[in-house]
Amino acid sequence: MKTQLLCAFAAVLITGTAQAQDGDASAGESLYAQSCAQCHGPEGKGMASFPSLEGRDAEYIKSRLTTYRDGEKVGPNSGLMIPNASKLSDSDIDNLAAYISSSFE
Amino acid sequence: MSQKPSPRALGAIAASALMAALPIAASSDTDTPELKHTTVLSGLENPWGMAFLPDGAMLFTEKCRGLSVRLPDGDVNKLVGMSDTEDYATTADDLFCEGQAGMNGVAVDPDFEENRAVYVYSASKKSDPPTNRVIRLTLNEDMSQTSERTDIIEEIPYKEEASDHPFGGPGAHNGGRLRFSPDDGFLYVTTGDNHNSQLPQSGDTLGSKVLRIDRDGEAAPDNAEATPEGFDPRIFTYGHRNVQGIAFHPETGRPYITEHGPWHNDEVNALEAGANSGWDPRPNMAGREDCPDDYCGYQPNQGEGMEPEKRDNYMPMTDTDTYPEAMEPVWDNNNLSQGISSAAFLTDDKWGAWKGRLAVSFLGIGFGGTPTGQRIDLLELSDDGESVEDVTELPAPMGSSRFRALVVGPDGDLYTAVDEGSIYRITPE
Ligand code: HEC
Repeated sequence: MKTQLLCAFAAVLITGTAQAQDGDASAGESLYAQSCAQCHGPEGKGMASFPSLEGRDAEYIKSRLTTYRDGEKVGPNSGLMIPNASKLSDSDIDNLAAYISSSFE
Repeated sequence: MSQKPSPRALGAIAASALMAALPIAASSDTDTPELKHTTVLSGLENPWGMAFLPDGAMLFTEKCRGLSVRLPDGDVNKLVGMSDTEDYATTADDLFCEGQAGMNGVAVDPDFEENRAVYVYSASKKSDPPTNRVIRLTLNEDMSQTSERTDIIEEIPYKEEASDHPFGGPGAHNGGRLRFSPDDGFLYVTTGDNHNSQLPQSGDTLGSKVLRIDRDGEAAPDNAEATPEGFDPRIFTYGHRNVQGIAFHPETGRPYITEHGPWHNDEVNALEAGANSGWDPRPNMAGREDCPDDYCGYQPNQGEGMEPEKRDNYMPMTDTDTYPEAMEPVWDNNNLSQGISSAAFLTDDKWGAWKGRLAVSFLGIGFGGTPTGQRIDLLELSDDGESVEDVTELPAPMGSSRFRALVVGPDGDLYTAVDEGSIYRITPE
């Protein structure tokens, strides 16, 4: 039983597909509304200097959020995004990725 | 803080206490209107500015698309498109958007009925390097076309290269609001610092200024008398950071601007010709050392939250130590920067107790522990216009958004554009 679960977990890690690591989209939704919408827009369309999050899959969102959380720069305005990612836990990132990838298409 | 109770302000408080004792003069809270809103336009792409024509038609800009007009019957005519647009009556391929830059403010000539002239502020690649321009256009009778493009200012600086700063991408800090003063009839153009520390205090560039010009782009004659020797005669005031709002006091005609702070101190300033707003983000002066890419604007700590007062001491929005004559703000948003954007005076009687107030809008930022602060505030100015006596948040019937533009319509209602893509009308009743 335990081994089976572990195997399943390992499989998830290896394949790394969006469905396999599904976060909780509804938890992601409230976190998004609280901490992200003021810059990326209520529907993730992006505004002013803030990029659109539409049409991104969960993996992309996760890898970006992890990069920002590590304090690494991506584009010219990373300085604004990094502080917003620094407080996120792994499960916050999963939840946000699940919400963003499924809601902003 | 700017709201030290000066003897003048105390006098005003005493006077208003007296007034309150007289029953007829009392303008109490019960006199404040209920607000309702209507959505005038939605589905827009970063609407940035609006201006009304005498018949109630509304010109509006979208930052990466161009200039359109909403006719009184609700139809929209797309007039001047920027590069990469196809659905406009005219396409101007030199007009482009990047970061905060693009098509910004719009204004209508005070003599529109005779000359049909309208004006927009836009980034353009007509020159190399690119610049921001003020462009005059003639709108035809049925409001379907513009013609006779004349660039009345061609060289407002534009930020071409990214730099190591928050919002450090190209296109930063253009100012961009255009308004005619009903008092002196001149066109006022607000600009920004491009993250270039040389611009604010320099007299030979048009960045970080408020310009005052006529409809051909010629300097208003009184500018040069007021500014320091050698300044470009189009400069009305200087030493600004990024001015996105300007409105004229309904009684005195004095221009009031909103000046977007860095990580602290959004300001409202009451302008006087020739004044220095005291922004000077140069390194190696005023107690500072080297700064990233020669611009100290977000220092001493540009990546993380920090007490606003400490920031203000290190990098003041208004540096009165270096410039003792600098114009002090009438209001500083309690030392916070929440992205102050636009400004408009409420002049119609239907605003009741809020008649005469200065509405100022905020985009909201929420950096490093600062409350985001998306809202519209109604500021009550003192009788002398030098300070703010009360601040009331407008109970926005449509909820909060990134409020980008405010303008009062010919109906006296307040119109606001939000980055999310709508223009709302707020009606007091
Ligand atoms: C203060 C405004 C702000 C807030 C709040 C904010 N972001 Fe960002 N975000 C940005 C900016 C600016 C960028 C672009 C940074 C760059 O240039 O690298 C960005 C980039 C991103 C990207 C990468 C987009 C791409 O196309 O690569 C993702 C994903 C993202 N943000 C998600 C979030 C999430 C999730 C939250 C809430 C936890 C959030 N952001 C909160 C400003 C913000």
